[in-house]
Amino acid sequence: MNIKKIIGKEFIFFDGAMGTMLQQAGLPIGELPESFNISYPEVIYDIHKKYIDAGADVITTNTFGANEYKLKDLPYSVEQIISKAVSIARDAAGNKLVALDIGPIGQLMEPIGTLKFDEAYEIFKRQIKAGETAGADLILIETISDLYEAKAAILAAKENCSLPVFCTMTFQQNGRTLTGTDPTTMVHVLEGLGIDALGINCSLGPKEIKPIIEKILKISTVPVIVQPNAGLPKLKEGKTVFDLTPEVFSEEIKNMAQMGISIIGGCCGTNPDFIKKAKKYLEGLYPIKLNNKKLTTVCSSTKTIVIGNDIKIIGERINPTGKKKLKEALRNNNLDYILSEAIKQKEAGADILDVNIGLPEINEKEMMPKIIKEIQGIVDIPLQIDSTNTDTIEAAVRVFNGKPLINSVNGKTESMKSIFPIVKKYGACVIGLTLDENGIPKKAEERAAIAEKIINTASSYGIPKENILIDCLVLTASAQQEEVMETLKAIKLVKDRFDVKTTLGVSNVSFGLPQRKIINRTFLAMALSFGLDAPIIDPLLESNLETIHTFNVLANHDKDAQNFINIYRNDSKKEEPKKLEAKKNLKQIIIDGIKDEAAQKTKELLNSITPLEIVNNYLVPALDLVGNKYEKEEIFLPQLIRSAETVKASFEVIKEHLLKEGKSNISKGKILLATVKGDIHDIGKNIVKVLLENYGFDVLDLGKDVPIEEVVEQTKAHDIKLVGLSALMTTTVKNMEQTIKAIRENHIHCYIMVGGAVLNQEYADMIGADFYAKDARESVTIAQKVFQ
Amino acid sequence: MYIDKKEVLRYLGYHSKKIDTITNEIIDTCIEEIKEIANFNYVYRIFPIEKKDKKIFLEGTSLIFESKNLYAHLLNSKKCALLAVTLGNIVDQKIRYYSKINLSKSLIFDAVATTAIESICDEIEENIKIIAKKYGLHITNRYSPGYGDFPLSYQPKIIHLLDAQKKIGLTATPDFILIPRKSVTAIIGLEDKPSINKLSSCAKCSQNRTCIYKKDGDTCEYKKNNR
Ligand code: SF4
Repeated sequence: MNIKKIIGKEFIFFDGAMGTMLQQAGLPIGELPESFNISYPEVIYDIHKKYIDAGADVITTNTFGANEYKLKDLPYSVEQIISKAVSIARDAAGNKLVALDIGPIGQLMEPIGTLKFDEAYEIFKRQIKAGETAGADLILIETISDLYEAKAAILAAKENCSLPVFCTMTFQQNGRTLTGTDPTTMVHVLEGLGIDALGINCSLGPKEIKPIIEKILKISTVPVIVQPNAGLPKLKEGKTVFDLTPEVFSEEIKNMAQMGISIIGGCCGTNPDFIKKAKKYLEGLYPIKLNNKKLTTVCSSTKTIVIGNDIKIIGERINPTGKKKLKEALRNNNLDYILSEAIKQKEAGADILDVNIGLPEINEKEMMPKIIKEIQGIVDIPLQIDSTNTDTIEAAVRVFNGKPLINSVNGKTESMKSIFPIVKKYGACVIGLTLDENGIPKKAEERAAIAEKIINTASSYGIPKENILIDCLVLTASAQQEEVMETLKAIKLVKDRFDVKTTLGVSNVSFGLPQRKIINRTFLAMALSFGLDAPIIDPLLESNLETIHTFNVLANHDKDAQNFINIYRNDSKKEEPKKLEAKKNLKQIIIDGIKDEAAQKTKELLNSITPLEIVNNYLVPALDLVGNKYEKEEIFLPQLIRSAETVKASFEVIKEHLLKEGKSNISKGKILLATVKGDIHDIGKNIVKVLLENYGFDVLDLGKDVPIEEVVEQTKAHDIKLVGLSALMTTTVKNMEQTIKAIRENHIHCYIMVGGAVLNQEYADMIGADFYAKDARESVTIAQKVFQ
Repeated sequence: MYIDKKEVLRYLGYHSKKIDTITNEIIDTCIEEIKEIANFNYVYRIFPIEKKDKKIFLEGTSLIFESKNLYAHLLNSKKCALLAVTLGNIVDQKIRYYSKINLSKSLIFDAVATTAIESICDEIEENIKIIAKKYGLHITNRYSPGYGDFPLSYQPKIIHLLDAQKKIGLTATPDFILIPRKSVTAIIGLEDKPSINKLSSCAKCSQNRTCIYKKDGDTCEYKKNNR
């Protein structure tokens, strides 16, 4: 039986539940069922055999949790369990097929949990290699909730074996997986990764699955699998029960078969009867061929952006070109600044964010994946990975959780050769620039010709044109005025001829001219009317958004101008900048804790007094006052922190001012902070950070769950004098101890302060710290002592 | 889901002191927000238990509890309910998000989430109480890994036994931190007469050093009910 040949043409039946059958066979719960392959092979064989007799075409090995993490307390290796499990199934299968079952690892991946993408990949790789060696016919990755985990597993399968790969995810009644992925996003991402079949299993009964499967069937271009539970699980007297009969189950399956699914099986609560019945109900029927049209989409893990319906905004602000502050942030590893840029753009209405960190002094290939992970942990819109370095692009695309947009490929043979394999492998979208070895052609016709070359070459790699956005390139009106219109004509040509979507870096047009905003706004409007789908712009500029919102009304995208009315109905107030209460001074603003006012007031003050005067006359006294109130329990932590954040806002303004004047910082010293390896509590550390910053210290924040080596490396690299470590669990304090040990063993001369709920002075001494900070205020005192 | 503001304030350290209006407003919005986004899920299962050599055996399973304090807690129990509850990781995500744009709010949001999960646990406890009643049994308070001498290393075992990863998406890290963060696993005893066992002192409790109740001159429910 060659599954690749029949898939989608005949119904393929998988088996039903393994766990349910094991329990019925009386095996103890709480033990890892994978160990039964070794201890009770005959029971496992029996179960497989029953499913084969019931008519299953494919049986699934008893290896759901056979990964090195779950097996770590068993005396058997992953390879032992898997090879045994496959051989039992093989014996039972006869001429039917054996699917290597791969379930979730049992750990949540970062940033939700602590499991790294690469670690997950390695865990899956080991299972897959063992499975192929043992003779499995296909890989079934199932019951996955986290799209990111699915991606790690699929990549591991694709890169390490040649078997067909199926993947099913598990959804809740709200139509999303536990980590928030919707069915549409799942389809776009998994299809991109080159899966042979995809679908849903577990969690729900067939009735509840139906509306979700409907969405999948509307867009999927690969065969769809369904393996429901025997009904919605219900808690009865403290036990989980499933209440569908094989008949009702099969009726529902038949229903879904008529909608378009072609691969069928059962999950929790099902048994051979269910498979037998389902097969009977489908006798004489054949799967419906899915004829879905491909769309141009990019996805985060929880959101799909379809390009081409209305205008989509690509935010351009994370790009150091011409941005002093971002450059500074990148050099100092100040990820918070980058994150705040991401958040601001998203809140302003960006649909996709461009991420470019190209600075000569930065190791882009290392930094880019790190930043991508940080941003995708906070912001839920898709990212556009922007780099001139192929390795950087691949590293970033690999760890991106979703379907990314790559910026960019161009018509040069070399560029296409290096970028297209990445686009194909990771199922990304890519921006194609209309330039080649001869540069940017003057005429629209010539640019369209390059676009055609890009589209055709992509197709030879198996990349559909729907995954390409053409950028017809903007030249500056100040230098090449006569070519501005050519860009616009090219957009129209490209769209008409090749039916592809387009993007454009709009603001280039105004370089070298005054009042760039005005030029940009008008050019944007022109480009949109020529058919631009996804402009790359600064979404924080009101003028850009106004143009787009207006265009959406005039182009009949925004039906009944609903969105426009929502936004602009009450806009009269927005026009006037907020007036400050003139009497309120900065000190009072800080005590009240109002960030925006603090920033504005500081700007005002900078006109009349020096930064140092602001710090000494306003910030420090306000901080002292607030600190005293906190100590006396007149105010509490939330208020203390609010004031601290207000001071920070004021500091930001001062720093920016100094940067503009070309003066150096007023830093009192640099402190490294980290929540130790294994620990993920970072609120406490964040509080310490903001207080230290308030008192004029620079903080290099490594985040949470920080590997020991990284603390050592960064302490060295930045010549840190004071390191602050935090741990909140009895179980992670040991990692704190090891981190301290590693710093000492590397002969780094620095002081170490520690803090966290489970620590005290005694313990701090014992693990070799120099200081114990009982709270955030104490850490300031320590820092002041160290940097005196 | 009922979220008691007083509890929130307690987590934030406001022991019966007045709060400023801005904090007050933020607490209110956080409560609304949690109610809207939290996707709480739970699973529990009741097992007959057997006690031997100061160990507790869950019948039909391979799980054995070894803990003096838990043993005392289940002294009169014939059965016990194992329970796992989570608010889901959308809440974690929100806390992370706020910690980047508004640290003060993330602090409050965190406290509200903690209050929410405790209140859900209370609701489930009520369900279990009803089941216990049918058997003519009473229930004990919740007892979780990390209390007294009952180690955190039981987290993954409880999760596994309840199949809680598959059912509600709950996991534990290698260092036994529950993920999603706002989650609880607990054991509730079903006993034929209400036990009057006294908890070993606060000194033996793992929360001792950081206990938010003690700070208040108060004690936790557990301690209160076992005095
Ligand atoms: S009052 Fe606090 S320290 Fe005492 S037993 Fe309860 S949680 Fe533990």
